[in-house]
Amino acid sequence: MEAPPVTMMPVTGGTINMMEYLLQGSVLDHSLESLIHRLRGLCDNMEPETFLDHEMVFLLKGQQASPFVLRARRSMDRAGAPWHLRYLGQPEMGDKNRHALVRNCVDIATSENLTDFLMEMGFRMDHEFVAKGHLFRKGIMKIMVYKVFRILVPGNTDSTEALSLSYLVELSVVAPAGQDVVSDDMKNFAEQLKPLVHLEKIDPKRLM
Amino acid sequence: MGDCVSQMPVAEGKSVQQTVELLTRKLEMLGAEKQGTFCVDCETYHTAASTLGSQGQTGKLMYVMHNSEYPLSCFALFENGPCLIADTNFDVLMVKLKGFFQSAKASKIETRGTRYQYCDFLVKVGTVTMGPSARGISVEVEYGPCVVASDCWSLLLEFLQSFLGSHTPGAPAVFGNRHDAVYGPADTMVQYMELFNKIRKQQQVPVAGIR
Repeated sequence: MEAPPVTMMPVTGGTINMMEYLLQGSVLDHSLESLIHRLRGLCDNMEPETFLDHEMVFLLKGQQASPFVLRARRSMDRAGAPWHLRYLGQPEMGDKNRHALVRNCVDIATSENLTDFLMEMGFRMDHEFVAKGHLFRKGIMKIMVYKVFRILVPGNTDSTEALSLSYLVELSVVAPAGQDVVSDDMKNFAEQLKPLVHLEKIDPKRLM
Repeated sequence: MGDCVSQMPVAEGKSVQQTVELLTRKLEMLGAEKQGTFCVDCETYHTAASTLGSQGQTGKLMYVMHNSEYPLSCFALFENGPCLIADTNFDVLMVKLKGFFQSAKASKIETRGTRYQYCDFLVKVGTVTMGPSARGISVEVEYGPCVVASDCWSLLLEFLQSFLGSHTPGAPAVFGNRHDAVYGPADTMVQYMELFNKIRKQQQVPVAGIR
Protein backbone atom coordinates (compact mmCIF):
# COMPACT_ATOMS: atom_id res chain seq x y z
CA MET A 1 0.00 0.00 0.00
CA GLU A 2 1.26 3.43 -0.83
CA ALA A 3 1.41 6.00 1.89
CA PRO A 4 -1.84 7.98 2.16
CA PRO A 5 -2.01 10.30 -0.88
CA VAL A 6 -0.64 13.76 -0.26
CA THR A 7 -2.99 16.41 -1.55
CA MET A 8 -1.94 19.84 -2.55
CA MET A 9 -2.99 21.10 0.86
CA PRO A 10 0.06 22.05 2.87
CA VAL A 11 -1.21 20.67 6.14
CA THR A 12 -2.49 17.15 6.74
CA GLY A 13 -3.45 15.94 10.17
CA GLY A 14 -1.65 18.71 11.99
CA THR A 15 1.73 18.44 10.27
CA ILE A 16 3.04 20.36 7.29
CA ASN A 17 3.56 18.27 4.17
CA MET A 18 6.96 19.00 2.75
CA MET A 19 7.57 18.38 -0.93
CA GLU A 20 10.84 17.89 -2.71
CA TYR A 21 11.15 19.61 -6.08
CA LEU A 22 13.85 18.01 -8.20
CA LEU A 23 15.69 18.55 -11.47
CA GLN A 24 18.49 16.23 -12.57
CA GLY A 25 21.18 16.05 -15.18
CA SER A 26 24.72 14.79 -15.59
CA VAL A 27 28.15 15.86 -16.82
CA LEU A 28 31.11 13.79 -17.97
CA ASP A 29 34.16 13.76 -15.69
CA HIS A 30 36.19 16.08 -17.92
CA SER A 31 33.49 18.79 -17.76
CA LEU A 32 33.36 18.82 -13.98
CA GLU A 33 35.77 21.70 -13.46
CA SER A 34 33.93 24.12 -15.75
CA LEU A 35 30.62 23.28 -14.11
CA ILE A 36 32.03 23.82 -10.62
CA HIS A 37 33.52 27.10 -11.77
CA ARG A 38 30.16 28.32 -13.08
CA LEU A 39 28.32 27.16 -9.98
CA ARG A 40 30.78 28.96 -7.76
CA GLY A 41 29.96 32.13 -9.64
CA LEU A 42 26.18 31.70 -9.62
CA CYS A 43 25.61 30.35 -6.13
CA ASP A 44 25.76 31.85 -2.67
CA ASN A 45 29.20 32.83 -1.55
CA MET A 46 30.49 30.22 0.83
CA GLU A 47 33.46 27.97 1.42
CA PRO A 48 33.48 25.19 -1.17
CA GLU A 49 31.75 22.30 0.50
CA THR A 50 32.43 18.68 -0.31
CA PHE A 51 30.73 15.63 1.07
CA LEU A 52 31.30 11.90 1.32
CA ASP A 53 28.13 10.05 2.23
CA HIS A 54 27.15 6.42 2.56
CA GLU A 55 23.52 5.75 1.73
CA MET A 56 21.60 2.54 2.38
CA VAL A 57 18.17 1.92 0.96
CA PHE A 58 15.81 -0.22 3.06
CA LEU A 59 12.62 -1.93 2.00
CA LEU A 60 9.68 -3.15 4.06
CA LYS A 61 7.68 -5.73 2.20
CA GLY A 62 4.06 -6.25 3.07
CA GLN A 63 1.26 -7.99 1.31
CA GLN A 64 0.87 -4.91 -0.77
CA ALA A 65 2.41 -4.79 -4.22
CA SER A 66 4.98 -2.10 -3.62
CA PRO A 67 7.32 -2.16 -0.65
CA PHE A 68 7.86 0.85 1.60
CA VAL A 69 11.21 2.49 0.88
CA LEU A 70 13.32 4.38 3.39
CA ARG A 71 16.77 5.87 2.81
CA ALA A 72 19.36 6.01 5.58
CA ARG A 73 22.32 8.24 4.95
CA ARG A 74 25.39 8.90 7.04
CA SER A 75 28.32 11.21 6.60
CA MET A 76 31.66 9.45 6.29
CA ASP A 77 33.75 12.59 6.66
CA ARG A 78 31.94 14.50 9.41
CA ALA A 79 32.26 12.73 12.72
CA GLY A 80 29.36 13.19 15.08
CA ALA A 81 26.83 14.28 12.46
CA PRO A 82 23.41 12.66 12.94
CA TRP A 83 22.19 10.03 10.52
CA HIS A 84 19.60 11.18 8.02
CA LEU A 85 16.50 9.12 7.41
CA ARG A 86 14.43 10.05 4.37
CA TYR A 87 11.08 8.99 3.01
CA LEU A 88 10.24 9.97 -0.59
CA GLY A 89 6.74 9.51 -1.91
CA GLN A 90 5.63 8.79 -5.44
CA PRO A 91 6.12 11.68 -7.87
CA GLU A 92 2.97 13.76 -8.08
CA MET A 93 1.50 13.39 -11.50
CA GLY A 94 -0.46 16.38 -12.38
CA ASP A 95 0.40 19.57 -14.07
CA LYS A 96 2.42 18.69 -17.16
CA ASN A 97 3.58 22.30 -17.22
CA ARG A 98 5.21 21.96 -13.83
CA HIS A 99 8.91 22.13 -14.52
CA ALA A 100 10.26 19.99 -11.72
CA LEU A 101 9.59 16.53 -10.35
CA VAL A 102 7.54 16.90 -7.17
CA ARG A 103 7.25 14.30 -4.44
CA ASN A 104 6.36 14.22 -0.79
CA CYS A 105 9.36 14.00 1.48
CA VAL A 106 9.92 13.47 5.18
CA ASP A 107 13.41 14.11 6.57
CA ILE A 108 14.35 12.87 10.00
CA ALA A 109 17.63 13.23 11.88
CA THR A 110 18.37 10.19 14.02
CA SER A 111 20.89 8.62 16.36
CA GLU A 112 23.55 6.20 15.12
CA ASN A 113 21.68 2.97 15.78
CA LEU A 114 19.35 3.66 12.85
CA THR A 115 20.18 0.55 10.83
CA ASP A 116 19.70 -1.76 13.83
CA PHE A 117 16.40 -0.11 14.52
CA LEU A 118 15.17 -0.38 10.94
CA MET A 119 16.06 -4.11 10.91
CA GLU A 120 14.11 -4.53 14.16
CA MET A 121 11.13 -2.85 12.48
CA GLY A 122 11.31 -5.44 9.72
CA PHE A 123 13.12 -3.45 7.03
CA ARG A 124 15.79 -5.19 4.96
CA MET A 125 18.58 -3.45 3.09
CA ASP A 126 18.07 -3.49 -0.63
CA HIS A 127 21.20 -1.73 -1.84
CA GLU A 128 23.81 0.78 -0.74
CA PHE A 129 26.20 3.21 -2.38
CA VAL A 130 28.69 5.93 -1.62
CA ALA A 131 28.19 9.46 -2.93
CA LYS A 132 31.14 11.81 -3.15
CA GLY A 133 30.94 15.34 -4.45
CA HIS A 134 30.29 19.02 -4.04
CA LEU A 135 27.46 20.97 -2.50
CA PHE A 136 26.25 24.45 -3.43
CA ARG A 137 23.40 26.61 -2.26
CA LYS A 138 21.42 29.46 -3.77
CA GLY A 139 18.75 30.71 -1.41
CA ILE A 140 16.56 27.68 -0.70
CA MET A 141 17.91 25.76 -3.71
CA LYS A 142 20.46 23.06 -3.15
CA ILE A 143 22.77 21.97 -5.95
CA MET A 144 24.71 18.73 -5.63
CA VAL A 145 27.34 17.51 -8.06
CA TYR A 146 28.42 14.04 -7.09
CA LYS A 147 29.73 10.70 -8.23
CA VAL A 148 28.07 7.45 -7.25
CA PHE A 149 30.31 4.59 -6.17
CA ARG A 150 29.32 0.95 -6.04
CA ILE A 151 30.30 -0.86 -2.84
CA LEU A 152 32.11 -4.06 -3.79
CA VAL A 153 31.87 -5.88 -0.49
CA PRO A 154 28.58 -5.27 1.37
CA GLY A 155 29.20 -3.19 4.44
CA ASN A 156 32.77 -2.28 3.51
CA THR A 157 32.87 1.32 2.39
CA ASP A 158 36.61 1.26 1.77
CA SER A 159 36.48 -0.76 -1.41
CA THR A 160 34.34 1.07 -3.91
CA GLU A 161 34.33 1.58 -7.62
CA ALA A 162 32.82 4.41 -9.62
CA LEU A 163 29.58 3.53 -11.30
CA SER A 164 30.18 5.67 -14.37
CA LEU A 165 32.47 8.22 -15.96
CA SER A 166 30.16 11.06 -15.06
CA TYR A 167 28.83 13.16 -12.23
CA LEU A 168 25.19 13.39 -11.31
CA VAL A 169 23.89 16.94 -10.95
CA GLU A 170 20.82 17.55 -8.83
CA LEU A 171 18.96 20.80 -8.19
CA SER A 172 16.47 20.41 -5.37
CA VAL A 173 14.26 22.41 -3.04
CA VAL A 174 12.31 21.18 -0.04
CA ALA A 175 9.28 23.41 0.49
CA PRO A 176 5.75 23.11 1.90
CA ALA A 177 3.18 21.63 -0.45
CA GLY A 178 1.39 23.99 -2.78
CA GLN A 179 4.27 26.32 -3.64
CA ASP A 180 4.63 25.71 -7.34
CA VAL A 181 6.39 29.01 -7.93
CA VAL A 182 9.46 27.19 -6.60
CA SER A 183 9.67 25.11 -9.77
CA ASP A 184 9.68 28.28 -11.90
CA ASP A 185 12.66 29.61 -9.94
CA MET A 186 14.40 26.30 -10.41
CA LYS A 187 13.82 26.35 -14.15
CA ASN A 188 15.25 29.87 -14.39
CA PHE A 189 18.34 28.79 -12.52
CA ALA A 190 18.71 25.69 -14.66
CA GLU A 191 18.68 27.91 -17.77
CA GLN A 192 21.82 29.61 -16.52
CA LEU A 193 23.65 26.31 -16.36
CA LYS A 194 23.09 25.53 -20.04
CA PRO A 195 24.88 24.39 -22.12
CA LEU A 196 27.25 22.92 -19.51
CA VAL A 197 24.51 20.72 -18.13
CA HIS A 198 20.88 20.20 -19.04
CA LEU A 199 18.78 19.79 -15.94
CA GLU A 200 15.39 18.30 -16.50
CA LYS A 201 12.51 16.54 -14.86
CA ILE A 202 13.28 12.84 -15.06
CA ASP A 203 10.43 10.52 -14.24
CA PRO A 204 11.98 7.49 -12.44
CA LYS A 205 9.21 5.21 -13.74
CA ARG A 206 10.26 5.76 -17.32
CA LEU A 207 13.71 4.40 -16.54
CA MET A 208 12.45 1.01 -15.38
CA MET B 1 22.33 12.69 34.57
CA GLY B 2 21.65 9.42 36.38
CA ASP B 3 17.89 8.90 36.51
CA CYS B 4 15.69 6.58 38.42
CA VAL B 5 12.06 6.16 37.39
CA SER B 6 9.78 4.30 39.74
CA GLN B 7 6.19 3.85 40.65
CA MET B 8 4.69 5.08 43.87
CA PRO B 9 1.84 2.87 45.05
CA VAL B 10 -1.33 4.73 45.89
CA ALA B 11 -1.73 5.08 49.66
CA GLU B 12 -4.40 2.99 51.43
CA GLY B 13 -7.80 4.57 51.37
CA LYS B 14 -6.63 7.55 49.35
CA SER B 15 -7.04 8.53 45.74
CA VAL B 16 -4.25 9.00 43.21
CA GLN B 17 -4.53 12.75 43.51
CA GLN B 18 -4.29 12.71 47.30
CA THR B 19 -1.18 10.54 47.22
CA VAL B 20 0.44 12.87 44.70
CA GLU B 21 -0.35 15.78 47.02
CA LEU B 22 1.18 13.95 49.98
CA LEU B 23 4.39 13.39 48.01
CA THR B 24 4.64 16.93 46.72
CA ARG B 25 4.04 18.36 50.17
CA LYS B 26 6.88 16.19 51.52
CA LEU B 27 9.14 17.48 48.77
CA GLU B 28 8.23 21.09 49.48
CA MET B 29 8.98 20.57 53.16
CA LEU B 30 12.39 19.22 52.23
CA GLY B 31 13.02 22.49 50.46
CA ALA B 32 12.45 21.60 46.83
CA GLU B 33 11.33 24.37 44.49
CA LYS B 34 8.56 23.95 41.95
CA GLN B 35 9.87 24.42 38.43
CA GLY B 36 7.14 24.02 35.89
CA THR B 37 5.50 20.89 34.62
CA PHE B 38 6.52 17.82 32.66
CA CYS B 39 4.89 15.25 30.47
CA VAL B 40 6.03 11.87 29.18
CA ASP B 41 3.78 9.99 26.79
CA CYS B 42 3.90 6.67 25.04
CA GLU B 43 2.05 5.24 22.06
CA THR B 44 2.14 1.61 21.12
CA TYR B 45 2.36 0.27 17.57
CA HIS B 46 2.22 -3.31 16.44
CA THR B 47 3.24 -4.81 13.15
CA ALA B 48 0.21 -5.15 10.90
CA ALA B 49 -0.91 -8.67 10.13
CA SER B 50 -0.23 -8.18 6.42
CA THR B 51 3.47 -7.61 7.06
CA LEU B 52 3.80 -10.58 9.40
CA GLY B 53 2.98 -13.20 6.79
CA SER B 54 5.89 -12.34 4.52
CA GLN B 55 8.37 -11.70 7.32
CA GLY B 56 7.83 -14.98 9.08
CA GLN B 57 8.30 -13.40 12.49
CA THR B 58 6.03 -12.84 15.44
CA GLY B 59 4.52 -9.42 15.81
CA LYS B 60 6.57 -6.95 17.77
CA LEU B 61 5.48 -3.98 19.81
CA MET B 62 7.09 -0.67 19.05
CA TYR B 63 6.77 2.20 21.49
CA VAL B 64 6.97 5.81 20.33
CA MET B 65 7.54 8.16 23.24
CA HIS B 66 7.99 11.84 23.88
CA ASN B 67 9.51 13.58 26.88
CA SER B 68 8.94 17.28 27.57
CA GLU B 69 12.49 17.43 28.90
CA TYR B 70 13.62 16.93 25.27
CA PRO B 71 10.88 18.75 23.34
CA LEU B 72 12.45 18.44 19.91
CA SER B 73 13.02 14.70 20.11
CA CYS B 74 11.06 11.57 19.67
CA PHE B 75 12.10 8.20 21.09
CA ALA B 76 11.20 4.93 19.40
CA LEU B 77 11.97 1.66 21.09
CA PHE B 78 11.40 -2.05 21.14
CA GLU B 79 11.28 -3.97 24.41
CA ASN B 80 14.78 -5.48 24.87
CA GLY B 81 15.72 -3.86 21.60
CA PRO B 82 17.37 -0.71 20.34
CA CYS B 83 16.09 2.75 21.26
CA LEU B 84 16.18 5.23 18.42
CA ILE B 85 16.42 8.94 19.17
CA ALA B 86 15.01 11.00 16.31
CA ASP B 87 13.54 14.42 15.73
CA THR B 88 9.81 15.05 15.82
CA ASN B 89 9.39 14.33 12.10
CA PHE B 90 9.45 10.67 13.15
CA ASP B 91 5.79 11.08 14.10
CA VAL B 92 5.04 12.17 10.54
CA LEU B 93 6.82 9.05 9.28
CA MET B 94 4.66 6.84 11.51
CA VAL B 95 1.59 8.32 9.79
CA LYS B 96 3.07 7.28 6.43
CA LEU B 97 3.71 3.80 7.82
CA LYS B 98 0.04 3.36 8.75
CA GLY B 99 -0.33 0.34 6.54
CA PHE B 100 2.53 -1.53 8.19
CA PHE B 101 2.32 -0.43 11.81
CA GLN B 102 -0.99 -0.04 13.49
CA SER B 103 -1.39 2.15 16.50
CA ALA B 104 -3.39 0.69 19.35
CA LYS B 105 -5.18 3.94 20.07
CA ALA B 106 -6.61 2.79 23.36
CA SER B 107 -3.20 2.05 24.79
CA LYS B 108 -1.82 5.59 24.68
CA ILE B 109 -0.48 6.24 28.16
CA GLU B 110 1.05 9.36 29.66
CA THR B 111 2.27 10.85 32.87
CA ARG B 112 1.92 14.52 33.72
CA GLY B 113 2.91 16.45 36.77
CA THR B 114 5.21 18.96 38.43
CA ARG B 115 8.97 19.28 38.33
CA TYR B 116 10.85 20.03 41.52
CA GLN B 117 14.43 21.15 41.79
CA TYR B 118 16.32 20.33 44.99
CA CYS B 119 19.98 21.31 44.69
CA ASP B 120 21.41 18.89 42.11
CA PHE B 121 18.32 16.69 42.10
CA LEU B 122 15.40 17.06 39.71
CA VAL B 123 12.28 15.28 40.94
CA LYS B 124 9.22 14.72 38.78
CA VAL B 125 6.03 13.40 40.32
CA GLY B 126 3.36 12.60 37.79
CA THR B 127 -0.08 11.08 37.51
CA VAL B 128 -0.13 8.23 35.01
CA THR B 129 -3.29 8.26 32.91
CA MET B 130 -4.68 6.07 30.19
CA GLY B 131 -7.43 7.96 28.46
CA PRO B 132 -9.63 9.56 31.09
CA SER B 133 -8.65 7.34 34.00
CA ALA B 134 -5.77 7.83 36.42
CA ARG B 135 -3.89 4.55 36.73
CA GLY B 136 -0.99 5.32 39.04
CA ILE B 137 1.82 7.60 40.07
CA SER B 138 5.29 7.91 38.58
CA VAL B 139 8.29 9.36 40.38
CA GLU B 140 11.46 10.24 38.51
CA VAL B 141 14.59 11.47 40.25
CA GLU B 142 17.56 12.76 38.29
CA TYR B 143 20.94 13.51 39.75
CA GLY B 144 22.36 16.11 37.35
CA PRO B 145 26.12 16.14 37.83
CA CYS B 146 26.77 12.46 37.32
CA VAL B 147 26.74 10.71 33.93
CA VAL B 148 27.88 7.26 34.95
CA ALA B 149 24.88 5.50 36.43
CA SER B 150 26.60 3.08 38.75
CA ASP B 151 28.58 5.88 40.39
CA CYS B 152 25.58 7.72 41.75
CA TRP B 153 23.14 4.95 42.60
CA SER B 154 23.86 5.01 46.34
CA LEU B 155 23.34 8.76 46.46
CA LEU B 156 20.08 8.47 44.52
CA LEU B 157 18.95 5.69 46.85
CA GLU B 158 19.58 7.80 49.93
CA PHE B 159 17.69 10.73 48.48
CA LEU B 160 14.79 8.53 47.41
CA GLN B 161 14.52 7.07 50.89
CA SER B 162 14.25 10.54 52.41
CA PHE B 163 10.86 11.16 50.83
CA LEU B 164 9.60 7.80 49.55
CA GLY B 165 10.40 5.92 52.75
CA SER B 166 9.44 2.29 52.45
CA HIS B 167 8.34 2.68 48.84
CA THR B 168 11.92 3.21 47.63
CA PRO B 169 12.58 1.03 44.59
CA GLY B 170 15.53 -1.22 43.87
CA ALA B 171 18.19 -0.34 41.31
CA PRO B 172 16.69 0.01 37.83
CA ALA B 173 17.59 -2.72 35.34
CA VAL B 174 19.32 -0.23 33.02
CA PHE B 175 21.86 0.53 35.74
CA GLY B 176 22.85 -3.10 36.00
CA ASN B 177 23.33 -3.70 32.30
CA ARG B 178 26.24 -1.43 31.55
CA HIS B 179 28.13 -0.51 34.70
CA ASP B 180 30.49 2.13 33.48
CA ALA B 181 28.64 3.26 30.43
CA VAL B 182 27.50 6.84 30.14
CA TYR B 183 23.85 7.26 31.04
CA GLY B 184 21.67 8.90 28.40
CA PRO B 185 18.09 9.99 27.75
CA ALA B 186 17.37 6.69 25.99
CA ASP B 187 17.92 4.88 29.32
CA THR B 188 15.32 7.12 30.98
CA MET B 189 12.80 6.32 28.25
CA VAL B 190 13.41 2.59 28.66
CA GLN B 191 12.61 2.97 32.36
CA TYR B 192 9.39 4.85 31.58
CA MET B 193 8.41 2.20 29.05
CA GLU B 194 8.87 -0.53 31.67
CA LEU B 195 6.89 1.52 34.19
CA PHE B 196 4.03 2.10 31.76
CA ASN B 197 3.91 -1.59 30.86
CA LYS B 198 3.77 -2.51 34.54
CA ILE B 199 0.95 -0.05 35.15
CA ARG B 200 -0.96 -1.24 32.10
CA LYS B 201 -0.99 -4.76 33.49
CA GLN B 202 -2.13 -3.64 36.94
CA GLN B 203 -5.76 -3.44 37.78
CA GLN B 204 -7.46 -0.12 37.61
CA VAL B 205 -6.89 1.95 40.76
CA PRO B 206 -10.21 2.08 42.68
CA VAL B 207 -11.46 5.64 42.82
CA ALA B 208 -12.41 6.70 46.31
CA GLY B 209 -15.79 8.28 46.83
CA ILE B 210 -17.76 6.72 44.00
CA ARG B 211 -21.29 5.98 44.94
